[in-house]
Amino acid sequence: MAIPIIEAHNLTVLYGRKPAIWNIDFKLPEGQVIGIMGPNGSGKSTLLKSIMGVVTPTTGYTKVYDQELNQVRHKVSYVPQRQEIDWDFPASVWDIVSMGRFHVRGLFKRLTSEDNDIIQESLEKVNMLGFAKRQISQLSGGQQQRVFLARAIAQQGELFLMDEPFAGVDIATEEMIVDLLKEMKGQGKTLVIVHHDLHTAQSYFDHLVLMNTRLVACGKTSDVFTDQILTDTYGGKLTTISKISQELENKEFPIRHQ
Amino acid sequence: MSFWQNIPSYFSSEYYTFWVVSIGAGIICFGAGIVGTFSYLRKRALLGDVISHAVLPGVAISFMLTGVKNPLYFLIGATTSGILSIWLVDYIHSKSKLKPDTIMALTLSVFFGIGIVLLTKIQHSGNAAQSGLDSFLFGKAASMTLQDVITFSVIALINTLCIAVFLRAFSMISFDEEYAKSLGFNIKIIKSFLALLTVITVAIGIQSVGIVLMAALLITPASGARFLTNSIKKMLIYAGIFALLSGFTGVIISSSGTAMPTGPWIVVVLSSFTIFAIFFGKEKGVIARMRIRRSNNLKINNENTLKKLYKLSEERKESIHVDQLSDIQSSAQLKTTLKRLEKKQILSQVKGTIILNEKGKIAAREVIRKHRLWEIYLSKYFQLDKDHLHDDAEGIEHVITPEIEKHLITLLDRPEKDPHQSEIPY
Repeated sequence: MAIPIIEAHNLTVLYGRKPAIWNIDFKLPEGQVIGIMGPNGSGKSTLLKSIMGVVTPTTGYTKVYDQELNQVRHKVSYVPQRQEIDWDFPASVWDIVSMGRFHVRGLFKRLTSEDNDIIQESLEKVNMLGFAKRQISQLSGGQQQRVFLARAIAQQGELFLMDEPFAGVDIATEEMIVDLLKEMKGQGKTLVIVHHDLHTAQSYFDHLVLMNTRLVACGKTSDVFTDQILTDTYGGKLTTISKISQELENKEFPIRHQ
Repeated sequence: MSFWQNIPSYFSSEYYTFWVVSIGAGIICFGAGIVGTFSYLRKRALLGDVISHAVLPGVAISFMLTGVKNPLYFLIGATTSGILSIWLVDYIHSKSKLKPDTIMALTLSVFFGIGIVLLTKIQHSGNAAQSGLDSFLFGKAASMTLQDVITFSVIALINTLCIAVFLRAFSMISFDEEYAKSLGFNIKIIKSFLALLTVITVAIGIQSVGIVLMAALLITPASGARFLTNSIKKMLIYAGIFALLSGFTGVIISSSGTAMPTGPWIVVVLSSFTIFAIFFGKEKGVIARMRIRRSNNLKINNENTLKKLYKLSEERKESIHVDQLSDIQSSAQLKTTLKRLEKKQILSQVKGTIILNEKGKIAAREVIRKHRLWEIYLSKYFQLDKDHLHDDAEGIEHVITPEIEKHLITLLDRPEKDPHQSEIPY
């Protein structure tokens, strides 16, 4: 593998005493569509958040483009999980997408006409230009997801980290996102996507990270999407790992004796 | 003499202080209204209560240390213990499994309890300067000195300016903190700054409305303003104006009679604004929603009448008498519906005979089309007996927009016949 676009080393995140992700190591290749999969509560979102610096790892580190995230942050766009947000917030679609330009303009400078053009293009890409002035609480789930994608596109990054973009969207939006992913991959961008639908995994992703608190497998979809690995991810191990986590939490054991 | 007869004399020089106090109270409330908008948007309504109760020990301790009633010392003491309370809430939250509301209720009562203990101790200490300290509980705007009011107003104005400058940062963390963090902004600093502004605002605000009612001053303006607009900038402006007018009016009302408390009056005026907004807010207001429901009812009546007329005209191929429609609406309702449709130039009436024109037929066909499309959709995608389809479609035919209709036609591949083998009129 050439220089990995994302590298996780010994990554552990604890919520209280309970590990959300535990000793994860992997390297991800550039220019591909990469899926992060695992059962509910297996730490997929936490993994994405710790790569993005939203959650601070308890131990270990991640590197992006072989550097500290802060050195290359302008290249990375994050699409948070739509359901975690209160959409009754008083803002229009345009207001939300323009947040994608704030990292360039900072907290105080006005957006320029160049920014406005970029915002407009981003909205066009997700077929939402007609909704620019719409209050966000009036959007359907699929439309909300499109707005978040437009915001990430407006950042003009090279690497996209998306948390469950296919969750609770309509068929038209799902197809639109799939087309968009292909187009972006064609432009050499890298897409890392938290996903939970096993049926579509093979057709959507070139590369897969399968995890259940710990890393189960990471590799080309054709290599790792096997019955054995899926059973390991979704089946037996789940109960063992979660029992251990429960012990750690309830009995105040340390995760590692120092 | 009554308040109204007194009005002219209120502009004389002896009322100078009165005007300063009422304007001062207005400005202080204005500051609280706009800072509170972010507490509201971040769903931290209870935190305002925590801070306002938590400043009491700070006020008491600053008096015990200095022995004088200086508003600036009070402000420093209040701000310190206010910040301490926020920090404590966050700390307990990160270290325990207690739910946020429990933590806030605990912190609030502990601080307030300590505050009351200290206050009681001061009152029995025999220090003559202490009299009036208990007015922190319910506020004492009317008895504030001119100097106090000017000090507070300046701080409130600085506060307001800070919010104007940091609007982008504060909006971003209110909507989606984690995304803001992913952009590389220092969320901790932004949050602490907002918290500091909130604490200072509370520390000033309690001097006019008191500890008990301070939370209302933060949250009520924003919750009223939210009914009036969908833009955060306008919401800040409305909340600010509500609060400003309430502070001003509250002082005027309370000084118009003896033994009228200022703080409670400010809150009463503020609540009336909010109730007004809840009723008259566009889109979200009670009246607006009633109006929408009414216009929906009219639409339903129109469309049902059209449908019936169309079906009758198809059967008989000739004009229809009003009596034949009597089964769909009461005669009074029918009369107004027909008049409405006549106004829209969809039909004409001559002595009880109704003629549906071409425009009316198109409109009627649209309703029937939507009805039948919905029946097909239901029978295709859901397990539903044939005799249940009609009732469902009777309701939904009025709801289907042109876009949804187009979507249904594409989805169902432009069907010719509905499940009852009736043709779909395109």
